[in-house]
This record gives sequence, structure tokens and C-alpha cells, in this order.
Amino acid sequence: MSELDEISKILEGIPHEVKKARERRIFVQVPSDKLWEAVRRLRDNVEAQHVVTITGIDTGENIELLYHLWSPKVKSLITVRTTVPRDSPSIRSIVDLIPGATLYEREVHDMLGVNFINHPNLARLLLPEDWPENLHPLRKDVKLEELRKLIFGR
Amino acid sequence: MSVLEYLMVLVKTLIYPGVIFVIILSLIYEWVDRKVYARMQNRIGPFYVGPSGFLQPFADFLKLLSKEDIVPPHVDYHVFTLSPIITLYLVLLAMFLIPTGAWNEPYAILAFEGDYILALALTTFITIFSFFAGWSSVNRFGVIGAMRALYQMISYEISMFLCAAAVALDTRTLCLSRMAEVQASGLWYILLHPLGFVVFILSMQAELDKVPFDTPEAKTEIVGGWLTEISGKKLAFFRLASDIKLFFCASLATTLYLAGPWGPLGPNILWFLAKVTFVIILVTTLRAAFARFRIDQVLAVFWKYAIPLSLVQVLIALFIPH
Amino acid sequence: MSLFEIPLGPQHPALKEPIRFIFKLDGEIVVGAEPRLGYVHRGVEKLAETRTFIQDVYLAERICGICSAAHTTCFVQAVEELLGIEPPPRAKYIRLIVFELNRIQSHLLWLGILAYEMGFDTLFMYIWRDRERVLDVLEMITGNRVLYAINQIGGVRHDIDDKIAAYMRKALSYLRERTKYYKGIVERDPTINARAVEVGILKKRDAIALCAVGPTTRGSGVKFDIRADDPYAALDEVPFNVVVYDTEDVMARTLVRIDEILESISMIEYALDHMPSGDIRVRVPRVVPAGEAVSRVEAPRGELVYYVRSAGGEKPERVKVRTPTLANIPALCKMLEGAYVADIPVIVASIDPCLACMDRAIFVDVSKEKVWVWSERELRRYSLRWYRSREGVRRR
Repeated sequence: MSELDEISKILEGIPHEVKKARERRIFVQVPSDKLWEAVRRLRDNVEAQHVVTITGIDTGENIELLYHLWSPKVKSLITVRTTVPRDSPSIRSIVDLIPGATLYEREVHDMLGVNFINHPNLARLLLPEDWPENLHPLRKDVKLEELRKLIFGR
Repeated sequence: MSVLEYLMVLVKTLIYPGVIFVIILSLIYEWVDRKVYARMQNRIGPFYVGPSGFLQPFADFLKLLSKEDIVPPHVDYHVFTLSPIITLYLVLLAMFLIPTGAWNEPYAILAFEGDYILALALTTFITIFSFFAGWSSVNRFGVIGAMRALYQMISYEISMFLCAAAVALDTRTLCLSRMAEVQASGLWYILLHPLGFVVFILSMQAELDKVPFDTPEAKTEIVGGWLTEISGKKLAFFRLASDIKLFFCASLATTLYLAGPWGPLGPNILWFLAKVTFVIILVTTLRAAFARFRIDQVLAVFWKYAIPLSLVQVLIALFIPH
Repeated sequence: MSLFEIPLGPQHPALKEPIRFIFKLDGEIVVGAEPRLGYVHRGVEKLAETRTFIQDVYLAERICGICSAAHTTCFVQAVEELLGIEPPPRAKYIRLIVFELNRIQSHLLWLGILAYEMGFDTLFMYIWRDRERVLDVLEMITGNRVLYAINQIGGVRHDIDDKIAAYMRKALSYLRERTKYYKGIVERDPTINARAVEVGILKKRDAIALCAVGPTTRGSGVKFDIRADDPYAALDEVPFNVVVYDTEDVMARTLVRIDEILESISMIEYALDHMPSGDIRVRVPRVVPAGEAVSRVEAPRGELVYYVRSAGGEKPERVKVRTPTLANIPALCKMLEGAYVADIPVIVASIDPCLACMDRAIFVDVSKEKVWVWSERELRRYSLRWYRSREGVRRR
């Protein structure tokens, strides 16, 4: 379990939880205000500069954000998990750390309405221009029938 | 002149070897071009209309004529609609200067001392009118295509004209029909000016907007280039004009380098057609064998290599006359 | 001269699928590129939550026609991880073979498209003719030419028998010869060189910073291949080399793909020789226990990721798909800066964009105020009305 210890050491000072799901898959949980710091430390210490993607999940009360980072040094996909409140989801953008995350943050912004603070251009990426402002299709309370009605009018 | 002679002039200009003959033959040559191109690419090519798809270009032409005639708003109406007609007129006029050997006559329908200059000027005008068509269409792609057509023109025309000038210097005449006749009694100029012939064919490729020099209408880059907004009858006219232009350029090469209609038995249309077919297949082969150059690379090819080589050819013709 | 803005797309002959770029031009040089995606967003992620795991395999298959084997492999691996089962070894080999055939097919397709974008139609036709051989092999194995439907949760659907293997070997040796020939053409042809060498530069540090994936990043000298880093299927038993070129241009990306075809051919031949015998699938329960899994594969275009979470039912709680093209878009915008207009199609093609897989999550049709759907009858009625008003066609 040396990788886990290494990651724990890197994240010292940030309340976190580390577990290994299987070979080459590590899950880390951090609070949302410390996420930027955690990603920065992981980037600097275990070369985790490849953002594979950012997954957003609506869990009902919260929105869970999963930052999948590939670290060639520990040869693992490190998934950094954090939660933001569903009513006012906002989190510091990691684009200034890893420029490649820009489209993934925009996608999560489109689909789940998470506000990424400091993002250079949080414009619509996938949704059409005339899409209703506060309708985020991947939230669980948005039903498929509702979307169908909006788009096809029936 | 008697009535019969008048009638003969009419037949010559309108039917054989005039307008109708030229149009039909250019469409046939389009079929040759397409079929050869397809065979080189391991395809079948035109197949359904007529035997071996022989009538496909005719069908395409008629289909385009029957299409809706769209003039987009904001275009410069007069230039936009007139340029296809004028282009077609100009290429047809140019064809009259070519000695075809029809009726076993050594001279073209329109042959006079200096028709060589008119023929070359007409090729320039044709390009300028395609520029007008693109520019007046007020379409981004059209404008870019039109600009490219002009950029390209100021490179290939120089090398093309220099090569042609070398032939004129050597034959000591400015009449295309005379040029062919001179070669009939001696060696063909493809043997005397091999360098000129190669550069001429290369420049012709650009003149005809064919790969590798088809930048003005590069469809993967700028949709249709200067042709983007052209549709229906206008497109039919432009397509026909480009077919005739292919025929014209090939016959110009034939006249300048392959002795035109002259063969072992005096001027003959069959000799002429055989040679033109040879040149067209050559052009098609080149078209199939290359990728497209970028516009700056096109200019580089001509200014760095083709124009110096054609100058060398002119100097050879000046100091070592045959 | 002021900057000239030129829109490219959503419909453009150079783009096989809809995407929109706004290019700012200074003469013939691009100074800025801004992408706009979503024209073929189909809402797959949302839809996946309303279907069962088994149905989602077919949904994943249809995210992309060209790399459908990659999508299903990735998805079923995630579900198998949740279920805690291992497919039989023979199934893993068959998965690998179909996967690599899929890669050959995709790379050949791409090579043809690149030639076409360069205006080299002859090469395009020849390459696509040879691509038919791979499709024939795939059809023999799976019954389909495009959507293979070979993977299922717990194994694969079809076995490879000796007859197919013999046919496959013949086709592969033919393809190896042809691919070597095409590599020679690409390396030697002056026009291709003029269009590909030092065009679309993506520096190594940009490739890393912008998280580029697949052949795009390997053409910039980054040794990043999921098959080596994170082996799946039978990859830990089949030897292969990671192809890396470091000239950072379109030519490098082209050569990476061509060499990968050759590499894949060797891999398949090795896999055919060493295929274990046994079952090709195991029975699996319909209900997937709660949990989450991240699965990655090296699709022809690069790293493909599925994140699947189950709440312990027949349907997934969340399915997240990240396709390689989306990862390569920031890198693409970087490459386009400073390029010529004439190079745009070649550069866009050089990342092998697959937009339908990129835009998974919404629904088609982005028409502005008027949103309507016509049935066939309404459409017919409209067309009749239109013709009557324009050309006086009478109703009989």
C-alpha cells in the first residue's frame, strides 16, 4: 500500500480519505474548498497532470464531482472526489493548473449547473443557445419526458 | 461570294468545326477525363448513361440547366449573371483560333498573324471572369477562392506564356496555324523544346484548376471556392466552359508542341483528336498522381522552378534557333 | 487589414460531422479558433440512466460507428468490474482481436480521409478499397461491418474458428504489405510532404498541458498509450510496441497511425497463435451490486473512459463517457493557431475527429425559435403545397 501512503503524505494538512478500489485505481475524497490545493499537490508531486475527465453526479442533496487524474508516476488513475451543495454549486476551477480541463468544466457546467470560479470562459459548450437558463439536463429531477417535450414539442 | 460559300462559312462556324462540334467534343473529353481518372483510382466511373456512361456529361449538363436558378441577395447581379455567359463566349472564341484540320484545311476558322496573342489573352480573360464570378457573389468562400484564382494566375501565366513565346521565337510567326504548319515540315516541338513542353503542361494544370493546383476551388478547404454560390444554369455554363477550356488548352499544347492537325498525310482532324486525347490523358494522369498544394506552395513552385526553366527555354530558342 | 472572421461548419465539406469553428483570419493565416460543439448531442448519458445495463451495451455501441468495439469493450469492462467477474481468457483474446481489427479499420479510414482532405483522391480510393478487407474479416467474425455487437457482459458473443482464422491471416498479410506500401507513399510523395511536414505543430509540453490523447499526443513525442499503461482484455499477454514520433506535426501523427496498423496486425497474429481454448462467456446476474468503476481503453482515436456507478439495481445510477475527440479539441485549437486556411482541413483531420461520439449528451436539432417535427405525411403535404405555389402543379 505504498502508493496510498505516498498520496496521504502529499495531501497532508487536507482532510482526506484514500482507498484503493483495485489495481491502478485510487479514490481520494477531499472537501470542495481544498480541491484546488489537492489537485495542485498531486500535479506537482506525482505528475498527475493528465485530467482524464470530470464526472458530475447528482446525488439528490449534493452534486458529486469526480476529477479523474492519470498519474504516470504511481501508475494509477487517481479519482479525486468532492461534493458541492446542489442549491448553489460552485467550486474553484482547475484550468489554471491544468489547461486541458477547460472543456470538461464547461461540460459539467452545462449539464449540472456547477459554477466554476475563475474559469476563463464558462460559455455554453454543448447545449444550444436558446436552452432555458436553469435547466440542467443531467440533474436527476429533470425527466427524460420533459426534455423530449422541450425539444420536440410533444 | 456565292450562296454556297456563305453557307459553308455558316456550317464551319456553327456546326463543324465550330460551336456544336466543340461543345459535343468537350463533353466527350470530360467523359474521357472522368473515365480515365476513375480507372486510375480503381473505380468504374460514369457507367449508366449511354454505353460505358458515355453520355453522362450530357446528362449532367442538361440536369443543371433544368435546376432552379438561384441568385442570392447582396450579389452584384449583373456581374454575377453575365460572367458565366461571357466565360463561355470567350472559350468558344478561343477554340476558333485552333487549327483542327477539319475539311483537311491547314488553317483555323479564324487565322491571322497575331491570333496567338489573342489566344493567350483569352486564357487570361477567362480566369479574370472566374474571379469576377467569385468576387461578385459576396460569399466568404467565393471571395477567398476568387483571390486565390488571381494569385495563382500571376504565377502560372508567366511560365505558360514564356514557353509559348519560345515556340513563337523559333517558328518566327505569331499565327497558331502557321506554327503547326512549320512543325509539319520539320521536327515536332515536343522534341525541340522538351523543357518548354513540360513546363507548359504544368502551367496548364494550374490554368485548368486541376490537382495539384486546384487551390481556387479546393472543396475540402473553401467549399467550392469561387464556384460556391454558382448554381443551376450558371453552373452548367461554367462547367461547360471549363470542359471547353480543357479542350482548348489541350489543343493549344497540341498546336504548339505536337504539330496540331499535321500528320504523315497532311492536315487531318483524326490526327488532331488523337493528339488532344493524348494531352488530356496526360493531364488526367497528373491530376490523379498528386495531392493538392497550398496557395503559397503553388506560387513557390512556379516562381522558383517553372518560370526560371521557361526563361531558360526562351534563351535557348533565342540563341540556338532551329 | 482588419481581421476577417470565417465560420467553418457546422456543415462543411471538410467536416464529415457537424462542428462549428469561428476562425479569425489575418489574410490567409489563422490567428484564433473558437469551437462550438453539441450539434449531434444525443443525450446518451441521460438515456443510459433509464435503461438496464444490458440495454446500455447496445447504447454504448451506437455512440460511435467507427470505434464501436472500443465503446462496448470499455463499458462491459466497467460493469464486469462492478459485478466482480472475469470473462474467460478466450473471450479476452477475441475482444482484443476485434478491438485491434477495429483499430486497423479506423486508421485506414482516417488515412483515406487525410488523403482526401489533401486533395489526393487516388490514394483515398485505394486505401478505402483495402479497408474493405478488414471489414470483410469483421463481418466474418461478428456478422456486422460497422456495429459489431461482439461484446456482452461476461464475455463475447461469437467465437473465432479455424476457417475464419485462416482467412484472417491471409487478409492480414495482404494488409501488412499494402500498409507498408502506403507508408512509403506518405513518406516519399512530395505533395503529401509539402502538406504534412511542419504543419499543425503541437509541442510536447502543450500536448501534456492540454491533456491530448491517443495518436495526437504520441505524434508529439509523449509515450502515452492506455494499452501499455493500463492493460485491459488480453493486453498483458500480447507483446506490442508503443509507437511514438517526435516531429510534432501532421506527418508524425500520420506515421504513428500507419505504424500502429502494422503493430496491430502483429498483435492479432500473435493473439491468433496463442489463443487459449475454452468458453467464450460466463453467465452473469442482471442485478449489478452497488459500486463504481472507471474503465479505460485505448480507442483508435485515443483514451476512452467510462465511469459507471450502480446503486444496486438493474439500471445504472450514472454513466459518464469521455471520448478521445473531446480531449483533443483544446489541442486542436492550439494547432490551428498560426496555420494557413488551406491547412485547416488537414489539421482538423489530423486528430481524427469523431464528433458524434464527442457530443453524446443532448438531443439533435438546434433550430432557433421554430422547433417542429414533421411526420412524413406533413412533409409530403408541405412539398405539394410548395410546388403548387411555385410551378403550378395541380392536384389530380
